[in-house]
Amino acid sequence: MTKIAVSSEGPTLDDAVDPRFGRAGGFLIVDTETMETHYLDNGSAQAASRGAGYQAAELVAGAGAEVVLSGRVGPKAFDALKTAGIQVGQECDRMTVREAVEKFQKGQITLSGGR
Amino acid sequence: MKELVIISGKGGTGKTSITAGFAALAENKVIVDADVDAADLHLVLHPEVRRTTEFMGGHIAVIDSEKCTGCGECVQRCQFGAVSGDFRVDARACEGCGVCVHFCPEKAIAFPERVCGRWFVSETALGPMVHARLGIAEENSGLLVSLLRKEAKLLAEERKLDILIVDGPPGIGCPVISALTGADAVLIISEPTLSGLHDLERAANLAAFLKVPAMVCVNKYDINPAITERIEAFAARQGIRSVGRIPYDREVTAAMVALKNLVAHSDGPAATAVRGLWQAVLTQLYDGSEVSKT
Repeated sequence: MTKIAVSSEGPTLDDAVDPRFGRAGGFLIVDTETMETHYLDNGSAQAASRGAGYQAAELVAGAGAEVVLSGRVGPKAFDALKTAGIQVGQECDRMTVREAVEKFQKGQITLSGGR
Repeated sequence: MKELVIISGKGGTGKTSITAGFAALAENKVIVDADVDAADLHLVLHPEVRRTTEFMGGHIAVIDSEKCTGCGECVQRCQFGAVSGDFRVDARACEGCGVCVHFCPEKAIAFPERVCGRWFVSETALGPMVHARLGIAEENSGLLVSLLRKEAKLLAEERKLDILIVDGPPGIGCPVISALTGADAVLIISEPTLSGLHDLERAANLAAFLKVPAMVCVNKYDINPAITERIEAFAARQGIRSVGRIPYDREVTAAMVALKNLVAHSDGPAATAVRGLWQAVLTQLYDGSEVSKT
């Protein structure tokens, strides 16, 4: 049972993956066992002048995510996630959140970072 | 729609002169000046502002004199000397860090958002332009760059334009990260000096991290052909295509001084090289599969 955070353009599994991480609109936290989801608004990081990556990392870490899936994660966010022991899967954009989660479940996504 | 960002790592390599040249050579484009700290593209493109919007970024401390007991905690805590002896915050010195707000025992300090500048959507003879102007002592930020790119994309979609040409910020900090994420390609303008090479390496590493296909061009290359070759050798090792070399040419300075676009007002060696550079950049941009080969 893994909790994954997927950067998302909307609050449902059928919304598109947001290609950005730090300034993504929000994150869908998905429990891969039950497929239960809840949506986290990332407005606060989006509005940050600088260090949006750190704030977004804090947001998903606080929600207990063990894996992040997104399009592109910047260097500052990446370091923060790595420090938090969260694995990162990139190039998950141009698909829906559901499709990204399915790819993850099938082991088709290259992950970096983590403990 | 393609987005090309032009950065340099090191400042002063000629990025803006070249970007202005591209603006003249490209068709159906939106021009973005994301180098907001030292915006200078407008000097050559002469934009006519059509829409102005205030830009809110960061905060400022404001002491409520009714609640203030004059304990001096804020004066002591402020690292920027922004609180005066009579407990007033100097707006220009205040960095918006929030320490005084946090430590005030009377909670007498408000922390509203501040206007740090204005951003504009303008028209130029070469097409629409999105740019910004910061207030005194205000800084560029990832947020502002992100906003300018977003507005430019909306404009491009609205007017069915094909390309965004972005004059990027210097360095590799938050504003540059924000300029590069999701761009289709980045052109790094370097110069044949050791700091040019050093800062190219840093910029190239960032582009590689963000997986934005990169190209490099050495400006003023004939000032030091040996370092030019080192730069191009570094690029080749990193899988970055060298797309051109521009010779040192006094007509570049003359155009700048006259507030004119180099390629429109010169047929000299630098202007000619910029025209060739643009063709090479376009080829890479639309046939990206070639970019990562040496």
